[in-house]
Amino acid sequence: MDDARFALQLEHVSRRLSGRTIVEAIDLVLPRGRVLGLLGVNGAGKSTTLRMIAGLLAPTTGAVRVDGVDLKARDGHARRAIGYLPEEPPLYGELTVDEYLRFCARLHGIAGTAVAAAVERAIARCELGEVRRRLCGLLSKGFRQRVGIAQAIVHEPALVVLDEPAAGLDPVQALRLRDLVASLREAHAVVLSTHVLSDVTACCDEVVILHRGRVRHSGPLAALERDAWLVVRTGRAVAATDWAALPIVAEARPIDALCWRLRLHEGAEAGALAAAIGERGYGLSELRAEHGALEGLFVTIAAEDVAAGKAA
Amino acid sequence: MSTIALIARNDLKRQFVQPLAWGLLALVGALFAWQFLVAVDAFLRAMPKLAALASAPGVTDLVAMPLLRNASALLLIAVPLVTMQSLVGERRAQTLPLLLAADVGSLRIVLGKFLGAYGVIALIVAIAVAMPLSLAVGTSLDIPRILVAAIGMLLFAATLTAIGIACSAWTAHPALAAVATLVIGSVLVMLDVGARLRDVDHALINWLAMSSHLEPFLRGVLDTSAVVYFLVVSMFALLLAARRLDTLRTRG
Repeated sequence: MDDARFALQLEHVSRRLSGRTIVEAIDLVLPRGRVLGLLGVNGAGKSTTLRMIAGLLAPTTGAVRVDGVDLKARDGHARRAIGYLPEEPPLYGELTVDEYLRFCARLHGIAGTAVAAAVERAIARCELGEVRRRLCGLLSKGFRQRVGIAQAIVHEPALVVLDEPAAGLDPVQALRLRDLVASLREAHAVVLSTHVLSDVTACCDEVVILHRGRVRHSGPLAALERDAWLVVRTGRAVAATDWAALPIVAEARPIDALCWRLRLHEGAEAGALAAAIGERGYGLSELRAEHGALEGLFVTIAAEDVAAGKAA
Repeated sequence: MSTIALIARNDLKRQFVQPLAWGLLALVGALFAWQFLVAVDAFLRAMPKLAALASAPGVTDLVAMPLLRNASALLLIAVPLVTMQSLVGERRAQTLPLLLAADVGSLRIVLGKFLGAYGVIALIVAIAVAMPLSLAVGTSLDIPRILVAAIGMLLFAATLTAIGIACSAWTAHPALAAVATLVIGSVLVMLDVGARLRDVDHALINWLAMSSHLEPFLRGVLDTSAVVYFLVVSMFALLLAARRLDTLRTRG
């Protein structure tokens, strides 16, 4: 059932280590040009899943297909179709950025004549020009992560796997890295493991939440955001019946006299709500999506353990 | 360029960026030079007496071979210092995933690592062999005999290097890898000596002992069974190292 439309397919993938199930029955597909955010608390099974996707760890059961080819088939094409950045960038501190990327390009099978062009492309995309002659061991954390990403994309793989690339970066470096990750979708499918929910909302098209080794949520991020509540602040007090009279509003909950949380019917746009408020003269002073649809879901899933613990 | 050569070249390059390889070569070179000069001086002082003998030993017997024999003993210490960082160093620096995630088989990675380390070790052997060869400018040497001894030294060094790579694959710390290489190498070299001291003359012990296979080369005999021995032990050690990488791939 090979399907080359997908850069990545996980079919009922499980992994046991020392008699303990780390990851259980994961199914997911990722088309090209999409960024998938893999979320989970520590110990949820993210790194194990990423290592199986990167071909560093064999699944106990199930199949990992990259670019339509099962990794177990030991097919060179599947391996070359993966670019992997582990949590700690695998840099050789004794080499300059240029030397290191040339080594990585050749290691991933790029022919001698094409190596220079591939390295130039990776350096340009990751904005490493100013440090290309510096030793990897002397780079700042932010540049180390960028070089790590450059080695993952230097051979133009179909799938790029990034394990917590923003860990330990300052806010400015994290924002620059976020832009870089988001830009990768132009040429690759990307799996991004992170703890930072804002990275997922900023970069990802799909989100998978892992908990205790199982997929607890999987789907497009847009669907989550579509279902999110809107926060509306008006110039004068509006009653619940007034909101109910608006055909696009499905549900309204008050925060205070002038501020409401509203959920719209499927397909309704926030712009239409703003227009309706204007027409009725409520005096719109604020309209925004309520942050935290993803956060709420993530916390709810993560809190199940606490709830279960209390119940016991 | 094959991935084996690529990994080997990368390792060699990295070794020579660090001071350890340069320091080791300088130290070993100085030690060999001192031994060489002492041996040459002793030979020059003994020359009048040697001239009176009918079939006196020449400079090859009295300078070149003792120097190479001492060099083989020094390799027992030098090889662990070079190989100890090989695979366990990659694991500790967390760079091993780069090699494992690429389309490179475990044996190819191990062979690349082996050749990378062997490059430094072969330089040490070359320094040891170059010193007696330099005497060819002023005296007549038994060049074929020195070259056969050099082949034996290179095979001996290759086997120690392969053992070092295996130890580096199976241990969790470079120091442990170095100690394990030193112990295994020393045991294999001194196995027959220990047995002889206890009046044990066992064929298997003699066959296992590395020194008994190096000795024919130092006498100028190109012993094919010894060549097979060195190749078999080297391949066994490298396959053990590759097996370890396979285990890391499947079991994490």
